[in-house]
Amino acid sequence: MIKSNTTFPTKFDAIVVGAGPAGAASAYVLSKKGFKVLLVDRSREAGSKELYGGRIYLGPLKEVWPDLDKKAPIHRWIKKERASIMGKDGRIITIEYNAGRRTSFTAYLPELVRWMVSKAEEEGTIFVDEVVVDELLTSDGKVVGIRSGPDEIRSDVVIDAEGVNRLLLEKLGLVSGPRPEELALGIKEVLKVRKNEINAQFNVDDDEGVAWILMGDITLGIPGGGFIYTFNETISIGIVIHMANAIRAAEAGAINHSFELVENLRLHPYFNKLWKSSDVIEYGAHLTIEDGLSFMPKRLVYPGLLIVGDAAGLILNTGYTVRGVDFAVYSGKLAAEAVEKALSEKEGATEENLKVYEDMVRKSFMYNELKRHRASKELMKDPEFFTKISRIPLKFFSELYEIDKEVPTAYEAFKNACRSEDSGPLSLMFKLWGMVKKL
Amino acid sequence: MKRLRIEELLQRNVWDVGKKPHIEINMDACGSCESKLCVKLCPAGCYTVVDGKVLFSYEGCLECGTCRTVCPQGAVKWSYPRSGKGVYYRFT
Ligand SMILES: Cc1cc2nc3c(=O)[nH]c(=O)nc-3n(C[C@H](O)[C@H](O)[C@H](O)COP(=O)(O)OP(=O)(O)OC[C@H]3O[C@@H](n4cnc5c(N)ncnc54)[C@H](O)[C@@H]3O)c2cc1C
Ligand code: SF4
Repeated sequence: MIKSNTTFPTKFDAIVVGAGPAGAASAYVLSKKGFKVLLVDRSREAGSKELYGGRIYLGPLKEVWPDLDKKAPIHRWIKKERASIMGKDGRIITIEYNAGRRTSFTAYLPELVRWMVSKAEEEGTIFVDEVVVDELLTSDGKVVGIRSGPDEIRSDVVIDAEGVNRLLLEKLGLVSGPRPEELALGIKEVLKVRKNEINAQFNVDDDEGVAWILMGDITLGIPGGGFIYTFNETISIGIVIHMANAIRAAEAGAINHSFELVENLRLHPYFNKLWKSSDVIEYGAHLTIEDGLSFMPKRLVYPGLLIVGDAAGLILNTGYTVRGVDFAVYSGKLAAEAVEKALSEKEGATEENLKVYEDMVRKSFMYNELKRHRASKELMKDPEFFTKISRIPLKFFSELYEIDKEVPTAYEAFKNACRSEDSGPLSLMFKLWGMVKKL
Repeated sequence: MKRLRIEELLQRNVWDVGKKPHIEINMDACGSCESKLCVKLCPAGCYTVVDGKVLFSYEGCLECGTCRTVCPQGAVKWSYPRSGKGVYYRFT
């Protein structure tokens, strides 16, 4: 709602659609540079439509808000990284890494986004919530503003930060409709657990947290995975399934209700002791992007328009690391800098002048990361790889540890593990190495 | 610990459900569908099968976009609730 005491300008330098991390960052940076910015979101309150996994990398965020690590609503700094490979029969391999320095933290995205938006407002951004933007207005092939219901508002430039469901870009014909190959479904539960219980169960201090990824049977073998993140007084658990493979699994009758997967995780005997006396206090779902580069629109700028964050496909999802929030913020910052350059030119926000944004993105660490991890994306979507990578090590350790009389040598155990997957140790080693290189 | 039904999970959330549905289903296209992927993949259980036909209720919708992505019939006319209605996330 627009507060009645604000004087509402009729024209803005920039309108930002969507107050997620990408939109909030671009509005903040632009306002700080002195531009008149309108930021709109469809939520009741900034952040209240946001849902993600739980861990954010600090580096890129600090370039926008240098005091974010001291001032923002951060829950815990990730101290322990855990990864589990899960088999069908209760066999599980878990590795743990105890981190040496603080590079990422957990935060509630609704809370953090609200903080980011308040920072933008402090710099002069006008933020209006409860606004569904129905359309980007165009005139002579140039985006000139937004329409929501009967209301039209104009600006020199529009920044599209609408996230993964790109209704506005689809309507303009700039991207095609959603493609299951490129998307994944995330489903999540938030469990209320006492702080000291979390600390004891996960062996961490008050401000230390755990980021835990799960692979294998937790998604019934559908490429994707599970996650567990610890917060001050809650634990987030969830699963992410690659949409195209989820469709195949549904068609084959392997999955009846997607929401059962996250309940399976909550009730799983290996994990449920960690949140014995917990209560589910929130449940939700959100789409995410499986393959950023192919989701990326052909161009990131059009006359009068820049595309940032998820909408631009700028998210890295390697299977063991998700970097969406920091990429979103960073792309918002680059877009704001490009707008400043473009608006200082005589012709304003022409495609020519906005093109610097595309160049900045291409030269940035984000684009580089997306390219570097491209091959692994293909691999993570392959159900066969997915099954193999979990079964062989599980078999190996079961051979090694579950003994009756004789202890096998490591080589014997390895040989048997390979045999169980119908390959010789050598050919398998080559295959696995080929796979690992791509990771 | 006991398994929660989808209704029980959705009840844990804060909601302000709008009076008008924000998603519309083209029943002609929907009726001829075999796979009924929406029923299996919607994380809120908004799609159910009654007498072989798919029924849709928008009330528990999490606004995720799965149904519009998976519907093989293109029968889902999808949009967002107006005026901040719908789900209100706090801890996600
Ligand atoms: C299950 C899951 C787990 C994830 N885990 C992590 C993680 O651990 N770490 C990480 O860094 N990233 C993670 N991500 C990715 C991360 O959430 C996104 O990359 C990030 O939120 C993208 O930011 P954004 O600002 O581009 O879009 P969003 O955060 O989606 O924000 C878009 C905003 O625009 C609004 N909007 C959309 N359309 C309109 C419209 N027409 N009118 C008005 N408002 C509109 C929406 O309400 C929303 O507030 C995860 C994602 C999912 C789904
Ligand atoms: S948007 Fe998501 S939660 Fe809503 S009906 Fe479609 S699949 Fe279900």
